[in-house]
Amino acid sequence: MINQNKIDEWIREVEERPTSAALIIQYIANRLSELANREEELAAQNIELLSGRKVEEYESRIANLEYQLNILKRQLGGEITIPAETPAMKPLVEKVNLLVYNPLGQVLRVEINRADLASGQTVAQIIDETSLGDVRSNVLVTTSQEELLFLFDSGRTVALPVSNLPPSSAENIDWQQAFVQEPRIKEELAAVHPIAKMSLYEACIQTSRRGFVKKINTSFLALHITEKYIGTGVKLPADKTCGLTFANKEDVFVMVSQEGYIFSMQVDRLPVAIEEVIHLGITDHIVAAFVAGQKPSIMFITQNGKAVNRDSGWLEPAGSFKTKGQPLLSKERREAGTRIIGAAAVDDADWGAFLHGDGTLTTYKLSELLASGSVPAGNQRASILSFSSFHMPEVKG
Amino acid sequence: MGLNVGIDFGTSNSGVAIYHNNQVHVLPIDSRNIVPEVVKTILYITIDQKHFIGQEAVELYYKQNINRQRRFVKKWTGEIDYHGADMHYVRDVYVYVDELQPGRLMQFIKTALRSEKYVGTQVFDRFYSLSDIISTYLQALKQRAEVLLQEEISGVTLGRPVKFSQVPELDQKAQTTLQLAALEAGFKQVDFELEPVAAALYYELSLSKPQNVLIFDFGGGTLDLTIMRLGDPHQRVVYASGGIGIAGSDFDRAIIQKRMLPHFGKGMVQHDPEILDLINTIPDWAALPELSTPRARAELERAIQAGQAPVRLKALESLIFNDLAFSFYNMIESTKITLSSLGVAVARMKEKDLDIWELYTRTQFEKDIQEHREQIQHVLMDTVSASGMEPGQIDAVVKTGGSSNIPVFSEMLGGIFGSNKVKSSDAFNSVTAGLAIKAGQ
Repeated sequence: MINQNKIDEWIREVEERPTSAALIIQYIANRLSELANREEELAAQNIELLSGRKVEEYESRIANLEYQLNILKRQLGGEITIPAETPAMKPLVEKVNLLVYNPLGQVLRVEINRADLASGQTVAQIIDETSLGDVRSNVLVTTSQEELLFLFDSGRTVALPVSNLPPSSAENIDWQQAFVQEPRIKEELAAVHPIAKMSLYEACIQTSRRGFVKKINTSFLALHITEKYIGTGVKLPADKTCGLTFANKEDVFVMVSQEGYIFSMQVDRLPVAIEEVIHLGITDHIVAAFVAGQKPSIMFITQNGKAVNRDSGWLEPAGSFKTKGQPLLSKERREAGTRIIGAAAVDDADWGAFLHGDGTLTTYKLSELLASGSVPAGNQRASILSFSSFHMPEVKG
Repeated sequence: MGLNVGIDFGTSNSGVAIYHNNQVHVLPIDSRNIVPEVVKTILYITIDQKHFIGQEAVELYYKQNINRQRRFVKKWTGEIDYHGADMHYVRDVYVYVDELQPGRLMQFIKTALRSEKYVGTQVFDRFYSLSDIISTYLQALKQRAEVLLQEEISGVTLGRPVKFSQVPELDQKAQTTLQLAALEAGFKQVDFELEPVAAALYYELSLSKPQNVLIFDFGGGTLDLTIMRLGDPHQRVVYASGGIGIAGSDFDRAIIQKRMLPHFGKGMVQHDPEILDLINTIPDWAALPELSTPRARAELERAIQAGQAPVRLKALESLIFNDLAFSFYNMIESTKITLSSLGVAVARMKEKDLDIWELYTRTQFEKDIQEHREQIQHVLMDTVSASGMEPGQIDAVVKTGGSSNIPVFSEMLGGIFGSNKVKSSDAFNSVTAGLAIKAGQ
C-alpha cells in the first residue's frame, strides 16, 4: 500500500533528517526482495491454475470427499443406491491392504483376500529392503475403501483413497515399483493414516517423536486437511511429528516409547496447545500411539520378536504432563538393548502384520502370539522393524 | 510492624521500591523482564482463576492463546421484560461464549480509573469489579516484593496522577477505588503521592542548591506537570500542577487509526456498517479481543465472499480470530519506540493471512500526533502561567516516563525552556524511587 502521499512523506523525512535516507532505501530494498519471491510463488501457482492442474486436484479432492461420504453413509446405515447391475446376492469378498511406507514417500501395497489369510504366513518379500539403509519403513493395514492421509514432517498433508495406490501382486516386491507421494525439499513422510472414519471421533491427537502432543477437534482437522496443512506438531527444532490418533473424549490415549516408557491419559485432559506430556531420555523416542478403547489387552512388540502382553487395566494414567512415564521394561532388559518397535490395544480376534529387517512381511493371529509370547519367525530372521494390528472385516452378503 | 514501600502503579509499567539507610532500592520485581526493575501492568487470569502478572502473564497468554481452537456455546444470560400498551412478555437473552478460552488478559488497567462507566468485567465464573482487578494485581506485586525482601510489607505509598479526571467527583472516586484495592491487597496503611512530586523527590537527591523545577511526567496513560521549588526538603513549594489524559497509548491509537486501518479494509469497504464497525474497533484495545464471535466471523465471511476487499478482510479475520490483538498492539508500540532513536521504522507483522509492512518515519509520526502535541503544549504553557513564572525562571525541566523520550517533546521543551535545562531522569524508575522516599519518610 504505497501511494504518492506516503512517498512524499518519506521524501520529507529525508529532507529533515538525511541520515534516514540509507535506512529507507534498505527497508524498501528488503521489502522488494521479499515481494519478488512472493511474486514468483504466485506466478507458479497461476501457471498451475491456468494449466488446469489445480482444477484436476480439486476435482480429485471433491471426488474423494464424496467417496468418504458414501463410506460414512454405509457405516452409519444410511441409504446408498446400489447400481442395478450389481448382483445383490453375490457375496462381496473384503480384502485388506497391507501398506509399507518409508520417509521418502514410497508406498507399497499388497492386497490380501480374507480367504488367503493365515497365521505365520509370509505375505510378501521386499527384495531390496536392506538397500535403503537407515531409511526406516512402517507397516499399516487398512481396508480397500479407506481414505489415506499422508502426513509430512512439515505439517503438510495429502489425502488419497487406498484404491489410488497400485497393488503389488507378486510375492517379491521392489521399492522401484512403489507408489511415490514425493516429499518436498527437506521434507519426510512422517506417517500414513486411515481417515475415512475420522468424523466418528471427537478428537485427533498429533504426536511427536519427543513426546509432545496436540489435541485437535476433528471438525477443525477436516478443515485443516482441506487446506493441506495441519501443523508440524512440534516445538523443538530436533523433533518431528510421528502420527495421528483418533479418539473420543472419554478414551484413554496411550503413547509408547522405544525404551519402553508408557504415557496414558484420558483424551479430555490432553492439551490443545503443543505440550510435552512425557519427558523422554535423550536417546528415546515415541514408537506407538493409540487408544486403549474397549480392547482387553495391550500388546508390545520388541525388536527381537518378544510379544509382551498387559491387561488394559495395567495402565496407570498420568496425573500431569512431563512425567517420566510408566516403565514396561526392566532396567536390565533396557540396558541389554531390548527396544519396543510397536504396540497396540488388541483382542483375540485381531491380527498383526510384521515387517522384518530382511524385508519379509508376515501376518499372525494375535491370539497365538498372546499364548506363545513371541513372534515365531523372529528367531531366524533379522530383527522386527514395524508392527501393526488389524481386524479382519466380516464377509458381507 | 512491617515495611513501607513505594509502588508506582503505572498505565503500562509498574515498579516497587524501598527507601532504606538513605538509599533507594528499586526491587527487581520481574525477573523475566529485560529490565527486572520494571513490571508490565498486565494481568492474566486463567479459567481456573489463577493470576499472573508482568512478563509471566504475557508469556502464558501467548502460549495458551495464539492460534488456539475456539468453540462457541450459547449461554443464557438473563431475560428482558417487554411492556407494550396492553401486553407484556419476557424474552430470554443469550450470548455466545468461547468455552475453550483458557484465560483473559487485561492491560491498561489504570486507564479504567479515569472512566466514568467502567465498573468491572466478568472473567469466566467470577465478576471482577475494577477494585478487584487492581487489588489482584497489587497483591501479586506485594507477594513478589515480600519474597525479595524476606519481610512482611504493611504500608504503601502509591503514586497517582495529578488528575485522574477533570471532573473532581470522578477524580476522588478513582483515588478511593485505588485505595480500596490496596487495602484489599493486604496493605494496612495506604498513602498517596502525586507521581510528578515523587519524581521530583528523586531528582532532589542530586541537587546541591534550591531550584525551580518543572517535572514533565509523561507515561503510558497521562501527562502530569508540576512546577516546584526543590533542593531544601524542609522548604519544598508546589507552585502549580497540571496535566492531561494524553500519553503513550493515545499515540499508539493515532498510529493505528492513521496508518494501520487501511491494512484491514478502511477506505475500501463502503456501505457495510457491520464490517466498518469491526474495522473501527481495532484501535480499541479493550474491545478488539471481544470481537471474536460467530456473528462477526459470519459477517466477515459474507463480505469476503462478496468480494469486498477480500485480502484486507482476511487480514482482519486473522487479527480477530487468531488472538493476534496483543501482538499487534505490541508491534505498534515497538515501532513508536524505535522512532525515538531512529528516523525510520518498519511496522511489520506476518501471520497467517495477515501481512503488514508499513514504512513509518518520524516525520509521519509527528504529523499523526500533531493535534496531541498542540494540546500538550497548551497545557504546559497554562501550567507555567499558573505558577506565576516566566519560562526563563524555571531552572530545570526533568523528564520522566516512557513517552518523555519522544524527540518531538524534548524539542518542544528545549524550544521553550532552553535545551541545556532539559534533564532526563530514569524514565521508568524515578517515580517509583520517589514514592519509596516518601514511604520511608
